[in-house]
Amino acid sequence: MSSQRLTRRALIAGAGGAALAGPVFGQKLIDLGLPGGPSLRPLDPQFPGKGEMIVQRIRPPLLEAPMEVFRTGTITPNNRMFVRWNWPMPTEVSAAKHRVAVGGAVKAPVALTLDEIASAGETVEIVAINQCAGNGRGLSEPRVTGTQWGNGAMGCAKWTGVRLKDVLAKAGVAEGAKRVRFAGLDVPMTDGAPQFIKSIPIDIAMRDDVLVAWAMNDEPLPILHGFPLRIVVPGWFSTYWVKMLSTIEALSGEDESHYVAETYRWPTVAVKPGDKDFPTVPITAMPPRSFITSHADGATVALGKPLTLEGIAMGGDAGLAKVDLVGDGWEIPCTLGPDEHGPYAFRRWSVTLPSVSGDLTQIGTKAANSNGLTQPGELVWNPSGYARSVIERITLRAQ
Amino acid sequence: MRGVLALLALLCLAGCDASPVVQFKDASITLPDDSDDLPEGPGRQAVIENCTACHSPSTMLQQPGVPRAKWEATVAKMITLYKAPVDPEAVPAIVDYMVAVQARQSDVPRETAR
Ligand code: HEC
Repeated sequence: MSSQRLTRRALIAGAGGAALAGPVFGQKLIDLGLPGGPSLRPLDPQFPGKGEMIVQRIRPPLLEAPMEVFRTGTITPNNRMFVRWNWPMPTEVSAAKHRVAVGGAVKAPVALTLDEIASAGETVEIVAINQCAGNGRGLSEPRVTGTQWGNGAMGCAKWTGVRLKDVLAKAGVAEGAKRVRFAGLDVPMTDGAPQFIKSIPIDIAMRDDVLVAWAMNDEPLPILHGFPLRIVVPGWFSTYWVKMLSTIEALSGEDESHYVAETYRWPTVAVKPGDKDFPTVPITAMPPRSFITSHADGATVALGKPLTLEGIAMGGDAGLAKVDLVGDGWEIPCTLGPDEHGPYAFRRWSVTLPSVSGDLTQIGTKAANSNGLTQPGELVWNPSGYARSVIERITLRAQ
Repeated sequence: MRGVLALLALLCLAGCDASPVVQFKDASITLPDDSDDLPEGPGRQAVIENCTACHSPSTMLQQPGVPRAKWEATVAKMITLYKAPVDPEAVPAIVDYMVAVQARQSDVPRETAR
């Protein structure tokens, strides 16, 4: 994880004399350790309501959590949750005027106020990890284009809302509906460009824990996180967690729209760079992942002394079953922290080595979930860099 | 699912005046200015004019080093998919600029080589 390093513009001032992109003199930078670079990112400007974040892009905002955010606890504070918009979003939303249109393959289309949504059914809370499908894309080798995230496009929060199925019931889903599609207030800047709309299969939409949420960690959703409402699909990548929800549409057939039919998809077969015309499916459920958070890559540890390593892990779309510390030809089981928030949340883990006998080269952690899915030792490379779940390795120097 | 879903206070017993579950207030945000920083070089103006309407320059500048053909494909994707209003005559200059910027882009070498 913490292959990230803070550094300063001063360090790169000598880089060929060429004006480098972005960073301004004196700006605080972080090194995301992206192979081959460019790997430095600014930690400013600060966005309203956010703490120190990696500023991948100002417009539309792409903010990544530095890995230090995951050093303690299992809940990510709102001011450190990653931010991701595909198109610029409105910067002002009127609560009284906002409506959510529920239509498509329904018995009677309705346009609901926020109060009508909030009272559509029981209020439900769930703790769930929100992770970008492209989290860790910048670490892909060979590299791929797209948002060059490190591993911080993830976070775990408590979401409060009503069940999507209770909102759908207000319009009555028609017999035979296959999918439910969502749109938000973020629209393309050009005519004819695809709007960021996403759909999920009807059986997922009807799950008891799939929400139309208005609160994140007991606070109203901040604008950057989708005020006034966002979809929450625990265990699935956040591409489906449509923000600034304004339309819910039941579909009687397949979804042919761009962000479902043409992108946010990954191969069903092994592929290598340059391959074309392979079969793909939408990227949906999250696989297990784990990170060492107590030590950064390259950190020194005391020779001959015991060493405790700590970190964070997730099961993905099923509960976390175990975490092992792995090295070259060995594995040691780690101790899992308490199951505080259920299967879709982070859990902490720790392990103590009785004595450090030398450098710990390329060690990592391997999480498995209760469905038996385990983190792979090798990257499952795909051209869009989706669903990274390879064992993340670091090297510790003994001194 | 047991233990995961916690029901909030919906125990609206006798005498409860059906107060709303949540009160929604208007929201707004002022986003920080975009510096629109692009390194000097031939074609810079073409990139500013054609490529910064929808996103910050960091979208281009943070990409890993890719061959010229990939930049050509990316510009084509912006035009056909996202309907970017790009001046066709500016395309070679945009591609040249991105290739040149990537060629001289050098980061601080990592202390720990992988
Ligand atoms: C009409 C709006 C628009 C214009 C103008 C535009 N882009 Fe984009 N561009 C986008 C969108 C939308 C994305 C995807 C953003 C996201 O995923 O967050 C994107 C993404 C990118 C990416 C990231 C890699 C990828 O393929 O997604 C690159 C590089 C890029 N644009 C380069 C350019 C260049 C070069 C130009 C000028 C020729 C340009 N863009 C002009 C809309 C635009």
